[in-house]
Amino acid sequence: MSETQSEGEPRRLAEEARDRVRFEEEALELADQMYRVARRLVGSREEAEDLVQDAYARAFRSWRSFRPGTNLRAWLFRILTNLNIDRGRREQRAPDTQPIEEGDYYLYNRLEENGGATGVDEVVERLSQDSIVQALSAVPHDFRDVIVLVDIGDFSYQDAAQILDIPVGTVMSRLHRGRRILKQALAESAVGDRA
Amino acid sequence: MMDPCAKCEEVLQPFLDRDLTDAERFEAEAHLSMCEYCGKRYRFEASLRRYVREATIETMTPELKQRLAALRTPLI
Repeated sequence: MSETQSEGEPRRLAEEARDRVRFEEEALELADQMYRVARRLVGSREEAEDLVQDAYARAFRSWRSFRPGTNLRAWLFRILTNLNIDRGRREQRAPDTQPIEEGDYYLYNRLEENGGATGVDEVVERLSQDSIVQALSAVPHDFRDVIVLVDIGDFSYQDAAQILDIPVGTVMSRLHRGRRILKQALAESAVGDRA
Repeated sequence: MMDPCAKCEEVLQPFLDRDLTDAERFEAEAHLSMCEYCGKRYRFEASLRRYVREATIETMTPELKQRLAALRTPLI
């Protein structure tokens, strides 16, 4: 029937427009989280802003490839991390340093030795906000990406694996190793340790 | 036989990530219940994680928010 066909087309377009509006609204609701993660993936505020802007431009262009009902947050962050990797950051990757593998008690032990035995809270307070930001930025990219997604972005191991396109086991090993590298860097800045 | 504190240190991250088997977790909890040395270090790690999360909060500028909103498809 030619009548329903001609009526069907505008309706389809209207439905698509409505889906698109909803998609864009839902995506923008995640902008604060996207920026927060982006800011820790790259070195400066400007780079983070560019990265988030490019990620949204790409997401809005390719919105049809998002399957409704699946994880929009993971889908968006995958675009963000892929863009970041595409931007030639491979070139600036830190050389494969082999840090001394200190255990997980290392930072606490160093802080305690350095400031005398006190409560846990006082020991934590010896770390400044700046030192944490600095130490995190010193963690090599592959490890930092995972720490940022899991510990700051609140993604599960599975989601982080999907976003970074690596196996879950790799997420876990990078996370554990990355947190140790972070603690070494904190020990270095807080008590002048040379690892 | 491994030193129990060294063993406890080994499982600190999976413990806090809730990624241990029940048996491993019971073992760690049993040790933590009587070992002040490890208990302090576990509490420190938990606080550190919270602190890292808080210390790295940085909000975007209203200008960026506007630029993102401007990327939306215009409604005809």
